[in-house]
Amino acid sequence: MIRFEKVNKWFGKHHVLQDIDFHVAAGDVAVICGPSGSGKSTLIRCINRLEPIQSGDIVVDGMSLTDKKTNITRLRAEVGFVFQQFNLYPHMTALENVTLAPLKVRKMNQNEADELGRELLEKVGIQEKASAYPAQLSGGQQQRVAIARGLAMRPKIMLFDEPTSALDPEMINEVLDVMRKLAFEGMTMAVVTHEMGFAREVANNMVFMDEGKIIETGDPERFYTHPENERTRLFLSKILSH
Amino acid sequence: MWSFYFSQLADSIPFFLKGLWMTFKISGISLVLGTILGFCVGIARAGGIKPLRYLLYIYVDVMRGTPYLVQIFIVFFILPEWGIQLAAFPAAIFSLTLYAGAYICEIVAGGIEAVDEGQTEAAMATGLNRFQRTRYVVMPQAMRTILPPLVGQYVLLIKDSSIVSVIGLTDITRVGWLTVQRIPEGIMVFGLVGILYFSICYPLILLSNWFERRLRAQGG
Ligand SMILES: Nc1ncnc2c1ncn2[C@@H]1O[C@H](COP(=O)(O)OP(=O)(O)OP(=O)(O)O)[C@@H](O)[C@H]1O
Ligand SMILES: [Mg+2]
Repeated sequence: MIRFEKVNKWFGKHHVLQDIDFHVAAGDVAVICGPSGSGKSTLIRCINRLEPIQSGDIVVDGMSLTDKKTNITRLRAEVGFVFQQFNLYPHMTALENVTLAPLKVRKMNQNEADELGRELLEKVGIQEKASAYPAQLSGGQQQRVAIARGLAMRPKIMLFDEPTSALDPEMINEVLDVMRKLAFEGMTMAVVTHEMGFAREVANNMVFMDEGKIIETGDPERFYTHPENERTRLFLSKILSH
Repeated sequence: MWSFYFSQLADSIPFFLKGLWMTFKISGISLVLGTILGFCVGIARAGGIKPLRYLLYIYVDVMRGTPYLVQIFIVFFILPEWGIQLAAFPAAIFSLTLYAGAYICEIVAGGIEAVDEGQTEAAMATGLNRFQRTRYVVMPQAMRTILPPLVGQYVLLIKDSSIVSVIGLTDITRVGWLTVQRIPEGIMVFGLVGILYFSICYPLILLSNWFERRLRAQGG
């Protein structure tokens, strides 16, 4: 469903992604972790071309990102994205945040879009906040609206960039619960997170990144209990000691 | 003596009203056109491709870095030498529009740049194209920052419009000049000129302050 083939990316002289080969099969959940600045965000932002790549190729649901014929808007509609900082539109209600893309990109009529929006808000458990503005919602509620917005184009793939790290601890679970539900429904997901419990429960594949390279991949159970690489071990001992 | 001048001035009121109407027309039309121009240029500059951006920077900086008096002289006295002949009224509108557009561009581009980059990314990620992102996500947020300085700029531009009197347009300022030649009571004549400008500008000042307070109340 998502395939990286020898992907390289630079920010100026800084080589942030180095020969990345990486694959997520349909219905799988990949969890990506690694120290700050290792290139995790950049990696998943490349998947819907929020960041351009300089060499190699990424193929998403059969569409190549480097192919000139690929319709990037169509590709983005297949891929939902959830940001660490939510990035909800502050001037729109929760429902309007969710329905904007269906209305404008899919050209749905208002009734259809509202129905879809309510259905998705119900799915993330905040249908009663449909007419609230983002500033009136808690962090956990905002992030759930953001997930509903990500689902509004009926994507085949969902990407999450540290979706819980801007949240107060007591709100982390309500967001992870929604993500678990999506995973169990068979959504293809790539998730940057350091939530080990979540990873062990839903991940099919763990990816550890450091300094722009994928250092280690593998089954989550083995990854957490017997990491092969020294750097992985060092990193895990740091995050687990918290 | 003073009361004699006063009654003479009272007789000139229709003349002053004509001047007021001229100032109204010139600044009104140029501000509408300048706002359209400023928004187009501002949006293009905030999101545009590099060569276009540099070109627009040059436009804005040249307009802002030279006095309006010089600009209107160029339009009215120098363009005709290159075969572009404009009557006084269109020359005033044309030059004031370009001048206003530059300042408004700066305000609009600033407002757009103040919108968090994450907003554009979120809109992009759901498949909105550039026009849709600008129209539905970026501009509604940018407008809140744009409105107070925009209306403040209108006040400055209305006052700058007094310069069009140098090419013979009978706006409030020129009515003042002509009147003071008959009624040598400068304080009275230009007092009235000042009051007329103030009566146009003050409502806008209040409006700008209101936008400003609303912006602060929303925590922007
Ligand atoms: N827009 C940019 N311009 C220049 N350099 C950037 C840009 N974005 C990221 N970088 C650099 O690229 C490297 C990888 O950044 P990235 O955000 O992908 O790391 P990360 O693994 O997500 O880190 P974190 O855990 O802090 O989110 C970092 O060194 C960062 O400073
Ligand atoms: Mg990151």
